[in-house]
Amino acid sequence: MTDGGDGRSGVNPLTDGSDFLHLLREHGHAAVSTMSDAGPGALDPPTEGTTILAIRYRDGVLVAGDRRATAGNVIVYDRAAKVLSVDDRSVMALSGSPANAYEIARLLEISFQHYRRTQLQELSLDGRLRTLSRLLRDNLPMAMQGIGAVVPIYVTYEPESPRDGYAEGGKIFFYDVLGATFETVDFCTTGSGSPIIRGALYYQNRWEQPFAERDEESTLLLVLKMLETAAEFDTATGGFSPTAAIYPQVMRVTAQGISTIDEEILAATYRSANVAG
Amino acid sequence: MLDEPYRWVEAIRNRREYLQDQLAGASPVVACRYADGLLLLTSTPGPRKIFEAYNQIAFAGVGHPADIEKLRKAVIDIAHLEAFNLSARDVSLQRLVNFGAGPLMKAAFDEIFRSPFIARIMVAELDPTDDHETFSTVDADGSFGAAQSTAVIAGSPEVTEMILAQLPDDDEPAPLEQALVTALRAWGVGRLRAEAGDDEFAEPTSAQISAAIDRALVSIRLEAGVLDRTMQRKTKFRLLDQATLTSAVDAVRGA
Repeated sequence: MTDGGDGRSGVNPLTDGSDFLHLLREHGHAAVSTMSDAGPGALDPPTEGTTILAIRYRDGVLVAGDRRATAGNVIVYDRAAKVLSVDDRSVMALSGSPANAYEIARLLEISFQHYRRTQLQELSLDGRLRTLSRLLRDNLPMAMQGIGAVVPIYVTYEPESPRDGYAEGGKIFFYDVLGATFETVDFCTTGSGSPIIRGALYYQNRWEQPFAERDEESTLLLVLKMLETAAEFDTATGGFSPTAAIYPQVMRVTAQGISTIDEEILAATYRSANVAG
Repeated sequence: MLDEPYRWVEAIRNRREYLQDQLAGASPVVACRYADGLLLLTSTPGPRKIFEAYNQIAFAGVGHPADIEKLRKAVIDIAHLEAFNLSARDVSLQRLVNFGAGPLMKAAFDEIFRSPFIARIMVAELDPTDDHETFSTVDADGSFGAAQSTAVIAGSPEVTEMILAQLPDDDEPAPLEQALVTALRAWGVGRLRAEAGDDEFAEPTSAQISAAIDRALVSIRLEAGVLDRTMQRKTKFRLLDQATLTSAVDAVRGA
């Protein structure tokens, strides 16, 4: 431990000890790499390209992502995990540079744990959103150089909070590369394939059955159809591959917590609707 | 003055006596294994004394609340830095104590012109790599020791020994309800031992133990936490609720 002000304990009572990002800097660890001296194009094309989406349905939120990671026109990996649990009630879905995105997700998870354990209370929703926003701002130099942009979706299931004016339910937030936070009510999609399906999602929600009234089964079917549609027109989005048994990643965020939808269920849904026909 | 060896030794001796005086009245933390994990039990007049330090690691302390807080924060900081730099699996009791809390408390104890940590701490790890390091206790001078099945931190060595003698060293640990009653009963014996001071102390009866617990609960409350390997979450720590603790008190009364 470093001398944190009282000469021995690593604790400085004048600075709030709750901030893990501050603790990292104090110990010489950059929260995220800034690499400010590398000019644009200094490296090979970054690994990126994705379609992620979140839909708020009757019981919570389904969050999904395809599995493909690309660098330029090269498929780097076909089993990338892009939806990561952050704690017992929230997940982050990642589009952009996987290296920075994974680092940000990792930092977020450890920051929330550290806060809960040191302060003996959960970090508020506003505090969690702000922490992610700070991490994205710290990542700005990488994003500006075109090699490390991260555009996450943060999804959480919140208990009722009269003090903050929240009703119980799933919440979806998205960010821009500068760290601005936006809340969306019904759905959100980001990544290179998102423009292809955004209009279709709006149409479904507005003119077909509203997402908030759907059950999990019909929402899951919609999610899989949307990912297949994105994969059809976006080379950086991977589709369902029955021969290689590559399925998208779908997680549910509900009052019961976070859980992953099994591949058997995904396979059955594909078969039932002939989605990947 | 203190550069003379005798003065320095004398200063350290005074410091040790000062710490013994300050910690003499501490309410013990009793820890043992149970069927599904580890149990820690103590009493407190207000501030908490048993905490979650990391996913599978618990922290407990007796002594000055502010010093317990500083040490707790230091242990949590080290654990999370380790988790960030390496991985969650690399956060271990051994590293937290042998390279963290132990040297930290030793350094404070050796600084003659500053206050030492007025605290004794315990760190417990669920299912560690080395079974013999399930519990670790650190004294105010930074000396530490590990234990496999049971551990105690208390105000005096006599109370510690008395409580340890009450705890079974089972290969097959009991269910939680039973382990809680055993730990509470041992805590009650420890309280009687502390009240006896230097007087002759005979093995107390169940009625005496129950009465000692009842007397204590007039002004303090029980606190207990477990590291429960059956929990389906990353973190295995949870505090036991008041109803569970009340049931244990009733069971001791009925014994």
